Amino acid sequence: MLPQRLKKAITDNPKKLGNLIDLVNLPSTLRDFVGQSQISRLGCFMRVWSYIKTNNLQDPKNKNVVNCDEKLKSILLGKERVELVELPSLIKLHFPKQPK
Amino acid sequence: MGKVPPSFRSMASTQLVKKPTTSPLPPPRDPRSRIAVRETLKPSEDTREPLRNPFKTPDLSDAKSLFNSIASTSRIPLDLKFHNSVLQSYASIADVDDTVKLFQHILKSQPDFSPENSTFHILLAHACRAPDSSLSNVHRVLNLMVNSGVKPDQVTTDIAVRSLCESGRVDEALGLVKELSEKHSPPDTYTYNLLLKHLCKRTDSLSLVYKFIDEMRKSFRVKPDLVSYTILIDNVCNSKNLREAKRLVNALSDAGFKPDCFLYNTLMKGYCTLSKGSEAISIYKEMIEKGVEPDLITYNTLIFGLSKSGRVEEARKYLKTMVEAGYEPDAVTYTSLMNGMCRKGATLGALSLLEEMEGRGCAPNDCTYNTLLHGLCKARLMDKGIELYELMKSKGVKLETAAYATLLRALVKNGKVAEAYEVFDYAVESKSLTDASAYSALETTLKWLKKAKEQGLAV
Repeated sequence: MLPQRLKKAITDNPKKLGNLIDLVNLPSTLRDFVGQSQISRLGCFMRVWSYIKTNNLQDPKNKNVVNCDEKLKSILLGKERVELVELPSLIKLHFPKQPK
Repeated sequence: MGKVPPSFRSMASTQLVKKPTTSPLPPPRDPRSRIAVRETLKPSEDTREPLRNPFKTPDLSDAKSLFNSIASTSRIPLDLKFHNSVLQSYASIADVDDTVKLFQHILKSQPDFSPENSTFHILLAHACRAPDSSLSNVHRVLNLMVNSGVKPDQVTTDIAVRSLCESGRVDEALGLVKELSEKHSPPDTYTYNLLLKHLCKRTDSLSLVYKFIDEMRKSFRVKPDLVSYTILIDNVCNSKNLREAKRLVNALSDAGFKPDCFLYNTLMKGYCTLSKGSEAISIYKEMIEKGVEPDLITYNTLIFGLSKSGRVEEARKYLKTMVEAGYEPDAVTYTSLMNGMCRKGATLGALSLLEEMEGRGCAPNDCTYNTLLHGLCKARLMDKGIELYELMKSKGVKLETAAYATLLRALVKNGKVAEAYEVFDYAVESKSLTDASAYSALETTLKWLKKAKEQGLAV
């Protein structure tokens, strides 16, 4: 299985990986949430997801939906309810493509 | 003080194992250890790790004074082993130049010390591992050796070649072998094969390898043996050049060798990775015909190849043959079969094979579980897939990329996004994949679902 994984790592082109793990200067809204001024998109997703888990924000009736609290609302476009499906794309909004 | 530090003494016994100068051992038949057999004999670095190195700094004058203080206060006479271990310890932290200087210092201050091969081999190995592009240090040590009246032998050649190859300097090793063969002694078969292996690994051009073989044959009468042919065949099989492999098999028979089980296995592996089931079977038949007993690896390769080329029924037949021949199928055998069955769509059959294998007392490995999980998810047997996933989780089995991605996809497709997140958590937690690849698979899957929804394809 290893060569296949290796191949995938190469085909998963480096640019894409770069915009996932590169540290980015954060806008103030996000800075308040994560409590630091720089984070990668991956790190940010992990923070948000673990925040959801530790505060039990998943709707008990439908686990696929998150009931946002005030703090979470502030970074997810002010939505009351967010579907887990859209979570990555919502977070991506804070990480616009950088003009080269 | 007044005594030899214990770290010196214990090192002497473990470090300076002398290698046999000739090769009295026939190559062992065990396929994996066969080529690497002498690796166990070289002074291994691992044994040095737990010991405390008496030399704290690579500084030469410190080292000299430490040596002097031990030498002047020691109550027992210092022997060759002691001096060797001093040098070995110092070489592990200092550069070649300083090590040679310390050696000369010992030589001068200890009139009783007459260095032997083993002493120079320490210096030589160190010089060969040093990361400078020229071989000047290596030549310096060799000159030192010859001037002290010690003749470089086959072990010297082996140590130089091994150290150079290990630090990726195959070209230098090649040049040095020719030089040493001219001046002192040609390489023995182990050295020769080691160099051949590294040469094959490094270069794409087969003609370069053949040129080396020719040169060695003509100039020094060193001929390839069966192991050499196996290395060559393995190499051409890996580059999918099976015509050349066939030619080599003929060439080795012409040279008077009879293919053994390991060689056949190598050849069969070549065919199997290209999904050429019929050729693999014909090799098996040839083995039987020629009276070469197939081993576990032969059967595993054959079953793998047949499963891969979609001939599961035949593969099952060989499973039976194998058991009759007295070989116990292992996790590899079963996993290959399961893989074949899953490809054919007989996923439930593969699942029942898991029971069969556990019934026979054969424990499934990570790969087995991943193969099955992949198969179950592909076959949309979600309940069974989740059940298996829970089992894997309880056993702490790591997920492989393909199985992980397929599971995510299947979960998301069934509207179980939260469960997919949970699988993501497990993949990260168990360190199955890097965080980044685990996340990008999740992201891709969710994106795919969104797209499918827009097009009205999924739930």
